[in-house]
Amino acid sequence: MIHHLTRRLALGLVTLLLISFLVYGLIRSIPGTPLTVAVAEADPSRRLNPADLDRMKAAYGLDKPWYQAYFVWLGNVVRGDLGRSISRKAPVTQLIGERIGPTLALSAGSMLLTWVLSIPLGLYSAARSGRPDERGVSLALYMLYSVPTFVAALALQVVFSVWAEGTAWELPLFGMTSGLPHATTAAWLLDVARHAILPLVCQTYVSLAWYTRFINTNLQEVLRQDFIRTARAKGAGPLRVLVHHAFRNTLIPLVTLLGLSLPALLGGSVIIEQIFTWPGMGRLFFESLRERDYPTIMGLTLLFSVLTLAGQLLADLLYAWVDPRVSME
Amino acid sequence: MTETPPTAEHHQPGRPNAAGFWAEAWARYQRMPLACAALVMVGLLAMVALLAPAIAGTKPVVCRYKGQIYFPCLAYYARSLEPVIFSKDKFRGEYPANLQAKDPESWAIWPLVFQDPYRAVRTNEWPGRPGNPTRDQGRPSRMNLMGTNQNGVDVFAKMVHGTLVALLVGFVSMGIAATIGITVGSLAGYFGGWVDVVVSRITEVVMCIPTLVLILALLAIVEKPTIWKMMAVLGLTGWPGISRLMRGEFLRLKSSEFVTAARAIGARPGRIILRHVLPNALAPVVVPITFGIAAAILTESGLSFLGFGQPPPSASWGSLLNDARSNLRMWWLVFFPGTAIFLTVLAFNLVGEGLQKATDPRLREAKK
Repeated sequence: MIHHLTRRLALGLVTLLLISFLVYGLIRSIPGTPLTVAVAEADPSRRLNPADLDRMKAAYGLDKPWYQAYFVWLGNVVRGDLGRSISRKAPVTQLIGERIGPTLALSAGSMLLTWVLSIPLGLYSAARSGRPDERGVSLALYMLYSVPTFVAALALQVVFSVWAEGTAWELPLFGMTSGLPHATTAAWLLDVARHAILPLVCQTYVSLAWYTRFINTNLQEVLRQDFIRTARAKGAGPLRVLVHHAFRNTLIPLVTLLGLSLPALLGGSVIIEQIFTWPGMGRLFFESLRERDYPTIMGLTLLFSVLTLAGQLLADLLYAWVDPRVSME
Repeated sequence: MTETPPTAEHHQPGRPNAAGFWAEAWARYQRMPLACAALVMVGLLAMVALLAPAIAGTKPVVCRYKGQIYFPCLAYYARSLEPVIFSKDKFRGEYPANLQAKDPESWAIWPLVFQDPYRAVRTNEWPGRPGNPTRDQGRPSRMNLMGTNQNGVDVFAKMVHGTLVALLVGFVSMGIAATIGITVGSLAGYFGGWVDVVVSRITEVVMCIPTLVLILALLAIVEKPTIWKMMAVLGLTGWPGISRLMRGEFLRLKSSEFVTAARAIGARPGRIILRHVLPNALAPVVVPITFGIAAAILTESGLSFLGFGQPPPSASWGSLLNDARSNLRMWWLVFFPGTAIFLTVLAFNLVGEGLQKATDPRLREAKK
């Protein structure tokens, strides 16, 4: 067990090094630097003169070739320093700290909704398998699964922000708050909640459809097994068979899913946060890519990669933990 | 592939050979009405895509000009296919008036809808017809079936021509991804050892890098992202899943008896991989490839939507959605392309699902 874990961790470290090296090389070869992109966008006539540009390049360590700069960055990371954002003039850790709350609010809310809704829906679909109503629900979920998030987001914006303008159904188009001062914390929370409805719906519907199908398929598989027939034969009611005997056995794949959803929990969705201008991690990532803000991109990439790898490891560990037949050796 | 032991029944003399794996899978596929409907839908989309210049355009499908027959509509497939004579005679893309003026004897067969996916049709360009409305005035009407965008470009024409873009992106990028994935995965699975270690590491790295970084960085490096570069980038980033599956299949199959037998009669690795193992390992990757086509179409329209696609004028469905972002009152810019992307993705997903059911050996077992 310990041996397996150390092996996994060592391999993960190698992967992380490779990823960061590659990404560093990639982003440094995108045309434009954080110094030129920001200034050129603000005002083309106010470009920096070459001498100033060179001085600033040296200050940010951009005068070195990328493979040398990478090792400087790596050295700082090992010492626990993710560097300072060039375009935002703040430490990267502080930027991430500011953005992680909004993303977590959205993704945790969405995950909670997904689980609360998909488990009963999955049980229902398995119980009424093959009947017309179940087929209808499954088809609807399947279609929902094929709706691209950005299309759904735009459609919701058209309906709830443009068509419903002036009615009680109107919802804010973007942002996390309306920007006005709030009298109480409760009023602030209400404002945030109103802003969060549309992004939350967009982030939830796909995973809801997917999880429901996943639970349903797993239940169908378990329901075909012998011990279910035994349970039925001894006289257990349909509900008890479904929940107590069958569903408990589908928890194993569900638990692994929990591990694999770790990166999504903190990574945020670029498209949703971009459409609704939600000040989260995905948007920070998108903006820093556009601004060529190397330290922020690298910090976020590192975070996402660590989360992905940790999620896979967590899934395997959880799997071994809940299923005694699986051994980590 | 089930490895059912050959029973006496299978080898009865005089009995015709059992249907092959793919024939059997096809028979099972045909029993699923929804999957069949999805396949028909894909076929329809392909037809719209191929016939796009004949459905909507401002260039004649066929015309006779100064005693010669030309096909100016081919210019929609590639600029270079536009007959040189029209640019020499200074047509500037406006055919109806110029054909009449410069050769009264000429005739032309026009596309079903006289609208252009790349520019607004001007007043009297088609004799007696008003120009396209611009800004947010372009509601769907008899002249513009699906309305126009802010610049007055007809949405219907963009939708029709966008079908070609979407399908090309799906098929070409998945073709690239499948080629890389199958090659890399089968080499890693068959040879094992250090080849496997290297390939598995690279696969993991590509899987772990946030897709958006990878795609955006590659797109930025190639500069001016045309639709073809977009396909190459999507193909270069989409292979790891297929490679993993392929590796698994090869690991499973390479220790089976028929591979040992092939090796025993002296077949070389290349022959074993291509002739013996690959055909047996292909079924499980067909499904993710189909889903991958849907995913590629989604990614391309998503990137165009975010403004990272082919620079305008582009016929991508996603670019219409991008137009909609700046004016949400123009609901037709959301509804039509949104529905098209949804239906296309749904069709490919349903085909993939059907293939999965048709080729899954476990489900076949359950039937017996």
